[in-house]
Amino acid sequence: MFSLNDHLELRRVTVSSLVTCVYLPSIITVISYKGLLYSVGKASSFYILALIFVAELLKSFYLNSQNDIQQKKSKGKTKTGDLVKAFCFLLGITFCFFIGIILFGAPFLDNHEETLMLSCLLTLLALFPLVAHIGVEMAMQLLFGVKSFTRDTIIAMLVNNAVFTLCGAWLGAVVIPLDWNTPWQVWPIPCYLGAVGGYLLANVLTVLKVSLMSASTKYKYLNFFVNILNKFHISK
Amino acid sequence: MLSWIQHKWTGLWLLMLALAGLSLFLYGFFPLKYHSGKLGHMDDLPNYIEGVSIDSHEVYNSGENSVVLMVIDGLRYDFVTEEYMPYTGQLIKNKSACIYVSVAEPPTVTMPRIKSPQRKKEKAQWRRTINFWRDIFAMMTGSVSTFADVALNFGAPAVRGDSVLRVAAARGRRTILYGDDTWVRLFPGLWTEHDGTTSFFVTDYTEVDNNVTRHLDTALETDDDKKPKFDFLVLHYLGLDHIGHLEGARSPKIKPKLIEMDEVIKKIHQGMMKWDRKGVLLVCGDHGMREAGGHGGSSPAEVLVPLVVLQTQGVQCPHPLGTGPTVEQVDIAPSIAWLLNAPIPGDSSGKILPSLLPTDIRQHLYLLHVTASHNAKQGLPTDTEFFKQFKRAEAQFARYLSTGQDSAAKIAKEFYEESLIAMSKYLTGNSTDFDVFALGIATVLLYFVVTALLCVTLYSFQEENCRKISITDRHKTSIGSLVAFAIVAIIMAIILTVVCFISETKSQLCSFNPLWSIAFLSIAFALAVTYVLVKTGVEKIKDLSTLRELNAIDYLLIVGTLFHSWSFFGTSFIEEEHMTWYFFWNTLMCFVLARTIVVVVLYFSKRWSGATEVQEKPELENRMSVVGIGIVPQWVLLIALHRYLRTMNQTGDRWLFLPDTADWLNAPENSFYLQGHIVVGTLTTLGICIWNGRHMNNYIHIHSLLTILATACILCYRISTDALYTPIATLRTWDSVAIVNVFWWILIFQVIFEILTYIGSFRPCGIKLPVSNKFTYNKPKEKSEDYFYDQMEEPWNVDDVRLNLARSLSHIMYNQLMLVIVLLMRPHNVVMVPSVYITCVITSKCLDHKLLDARPSRNVDVVDIIGRTLVHVWIGYVFFFYQGNSNSLASVDLGSGYVGLAEYSPVPVAARMGLHAYAGPALAGAAIFCYVAEVSYTWQKYLQAVWRVTNILALQRVYQLVMYCLIAIIFRHHLFVWSVFSPKLLYDFVATVFSLQALLTIAEIILLTHLTSWLAKTITYKRIS
Repeated sequence: MFSLNDHLELRRVTVSSLVTCVYLPSIITVISYKGLLYSVGKASSFYILALIFVAELLKSFYLNSQNDIQQKKSKGKTKTGDLVKAFCFLLGITFCFFIGIILFGAPFLDNHEETLMLSCLLTLLALFPLVAHIGVEMAMQLLFGVKSFTRDTIIAMLVNNAVFTLCGAWLGAVVIPLDWNTPWQVWPIPCYLGAVGGYLLANVLTVLKVSLMSASTKYKYLNFFVNILNKFHISK
Repeated sequence: MLSWIQHKWTGLWLLMLALAGLSLFLYGFFPLKYHSGKLGHMDDLPNYIEGVSIDSHEVYNSGENSVVLMVIDGLRYDFVTEEYMPYTGQLIKNKSACIYVSVAEPPTVTMPRIKSPQRKKEKAQWRRTINFWRDIFAMMTGSVSTFADVALNFGAPAVRGDSVLRVAAARGRRTILYGDDTWVRLFPGLWTEHDGTTSFFVTDYTEVDNNVTRHLDTALETDDDKKPKFDFLVLHYLGLDHIGHLEGARSPKIKPKLIEMDEVIKKIHQGMMKWDRKGVLLVCGDHGMREAGGHGGSSPAEVLVPLVVLQTQGVQCPHPLGTGPTVEQVDIAPSIAWLLNAPIPGDSSGKILPSLLPTDIRQHLYLLHVTASHNAKQGLPTDTEFFKQFKRAEAQFARYLSTGQDSAAKIAKEFYEESLIAMSKYLTGNSTDFDVFALGIATVLLYFVVTALLCVTLYSFQEENCRKISITDRHKTSIGSLVAFAIVAIIMAIILTVVCFISETKSQLCSFNPLWSIAFLSIAFALAVTYVLVKTGVEKIKDLSTLRELNAIDYLLIVGTLFHSWSFFGTSFIEEEHMTWYFFWNTLMCFVLARTIVVVVLYFSKRWSGATEVQEKPELENRMSVVGIGIVPQWVLLIALHRYLRTMNQTGDRWLFLPDTADWLNAPENSFYLQGHIVVGTLTTLGICIWNGRHMNNYIHIHSLLTILATACILCYRISTDALYTPIATLRTWDSVAIVNVFWWILIFQVIFEILTYIGSFRPCGIKLPVSNKFTYNKPKEKSEDYFYDQMEEPWNVDDVRLNLARSLSHIMYNQLMLVIVLLMRPHNVVMVPSVYITCVITSKCLDHKLLDARPSRNVDVVDIIGRTLVHVWIGYVFFFYQGNSNSLASVDLGSGYVGLAEYSPVPVAARMGLHAYAGPALAGAAIFCYVAEVSYTWQKYLQAVWRVTNILALQRVYQLVMYCLIAIIFRHHLFVWSVFSPKLLYDFVATVFSLQALLTIAEIILLTHLTSWLAKTITYKRIS
């Protein structure tokens, strides 16, 4: 999926993934140290979302910096319009997530606060980087598979992150029915942490893969691992 | 033997074989000994000891006693100390009372957290009853209960056999109960006086006990002769157990509670002192308590309970101070029975407690003899050491009786005691042993069957031309293969026999008596058949290229189905099986939603970007034309519908007691909405039935009329059972039984009518047929130019007519199934029936490979069938749980068994209950067969599709069975074997019976078409030509 040709892009991908691998675990560590880990579903934990938002925003500035001159030009013109559009789009997506999560089994009449937090997190992790990077129209086209994106390393990474995040949240729900009676089996903590975990895993895999790829130019046998990692990435 | 694998119904035969294997498994799994139900009589007491006569009634007589049995729930052995219970501890210390270590039967389920509306109380009550069952059963009947006792009695869990209460009632003793009303339900009609308390709130630990104690003063009062008013009094205190559940065994509330219990003991003891007859107080726990407070395990803290025996009239405890000897829980029954001067209960396997035995040596020995001979009568083998010991003891006893030697008495006592211990160990052990040999053989047989089914299924997936019999195969003689088969069968039989002898099993299967030999030989035969099938399968499966077209959704379906069986290794996955299915089903819906959205958006974007592109890509147009744009909103609505249905019934174990929509609907103030559910569900079903009528013959209006009449019957039935409000008062007085009978007659008439029109019996009546008649034979086209097919081709459209008949019969079957289930369903569940139909239709539409796959592929018949069959299986399971079923026997709806029946008769009730429980799988299964009949456009295609669907269904069923049998074997000593594993096994058994029945119905339909077309060929055919 990744090509070694474009070194600049590859470096950006690696650095941004590394940043994620650092900041996300630190947030989780700090809140679990403070004993707040099991309150992630509450509205009081909104600051986590804010932190993630800031971090993702900075990352996207980094990814976008000196991207290409053409895009920069068009950006300068309709910046406010774009911002409003992106904001509305993200709100809409959050609402879609909200409805979707309830349809797929979240409590129907209560716990709306928790469900809303989860859908915000999913939007933030899965779609916000995409929208920030390529804009609303492109993101929509990508979502519905109209355009193929396999050429662009950064977009490939972002889509991969999004897929892993959603899968993580989905699989997180598995533990809820088990009879372990632990405090973290409460809605939506497993899904919330699953989403974060999935996102983290995707980033770790990216870093791992890039480093393996660069190493495999020297040691050929590492190609085997690269191929295995390639299988993990969902390219469709 | 090749013809076997090609036979269209091999899957069905193999499923039958699997059912036989499962029956063998059940035989081995449920303990061998069943209670004889024998009742004890005073006349059973032995009058002769080795020829020496003895007056049994005189010696057995225990005098006048009053017994108080005080059961303190959750009383652990270490609670009975001076620290916690000062008065009792003091009594034990000065030897006025004896303490024993009693080994309780491990209880089956922990008490559920009960906070529920009235509707669920029945379920909770059942669970509680089962919870108490084993302990009370052991204490009162003197025998260890088996799962069969519970399973065969469910619904009315009363003790049918002999018990202390039965013998006491027979002897005219006064028995009183104060305590949990489980006792009343277990022994209905046997109490002289009772005040059962219900205690559903575990948070209540004072009121429950006060309800018991409040009667104590009046009960202990004596009449003028200084005699108490009762002979046997049971007090059951639950408060301690409730505290344990709430706060654990180290709670500060435990101590005050135990002191309260101690006060009660003091009161009883001092009351007993005033009597002028002997009073005996037995204090025991029915089970212990974990440190955390629960129970249900077999750790010492839970199983070891104290048994304190307190007697008035200055009887001293014979045992030294200390922990006290170990006794069994079953020993309580014969002890109490003897104290009440009643015979020992029929199935008792215990002995009389040592401290109660009289000091008079003659009576003492006689009592030992009575219990030992009672045990010996229960089918003990005579060649064992303890039986010989018993005989020796008897000889010594006879010698003592005739000569009066003390040494003989001493020896006799020793021998009796030794043999009694060994006997009760044998008897209790025997009733809980599994027949491991039968279990093993059954599982091996099932494995062979599942492998054979896999081969058959894979074989059926091959393309038509791969399955052609080559010429070399045809030349093989059948005699040769028969001989080969016989040799294989003989080898199998020899292997089985060798295994029998090597394993030295005690199993009946290896007893080689005539009846079991038949079973033995048929197992060998079945193994040989499956072996041959597997062998031919492996040889003949060459080309599975059709499976290459499987897409992600198919893989999800296959992997999910395979994984589901493995999930049962965790007990909570059995109890919460619905969660697994809901998760799978959600994942599937999510996948399909994403795929359909992608397809629809792709279509739109192509369309907008330029019309030419659409024309260039006709396959995209093709894909869309099957379903249309509406599929996405339809699918979203379907997801919403399922979300709603999921809230309808809480099921499983952990969340059973949460309020659900059904509770809300059943509340009296919401009856309007409940009636709305009934009407909407019934009328939608009516609409679907009429819509399905298009597949029937040309008299559609008559079919519609019959369906409307049947629906009217259903509504009338609902009115007559007060589920539906009507302004017309007379409707309410109609007899529901009569209405249901009319309903059955309408359904039967519809089938007969359809077949009659097929045969054409209305033609002579002069009724003119419309042109569109589906059941007329005609020559479609003259094909005289076609030389190749000329000779073989049927000139008449026999196959088309046959297909039409199969279609029409399948849909009639489906319609009637829906109507019957609407009739049986609980009011709030009626909407499930049309929901199954809608789900099946939309899902079948969406799981089209032409629609979902990006690249067009040529041959998707096989993968379409695989995906759709599996998805229908899933739908069936999902609805099974939506409806409120679970893997616990408590969720079986007994009420549905009596719809339209005036009185109990086993077969109709069982059939109704089964159909009601398995309504979801039945409807989904019928839907797939209807779908197959609808979409196949030639008779051959139809047969082939049915063949494949049958094989897949049978394979799925047997695969699940095999996995579950394996799990049951591995966990056969697990703590939850009764409450979780065994009920699931019974559910699996019923599911297998029903899937067999369903497949047989389809086979019958096809057989009927063959039969009628043969009739037509011989009669009608000639006449027309």
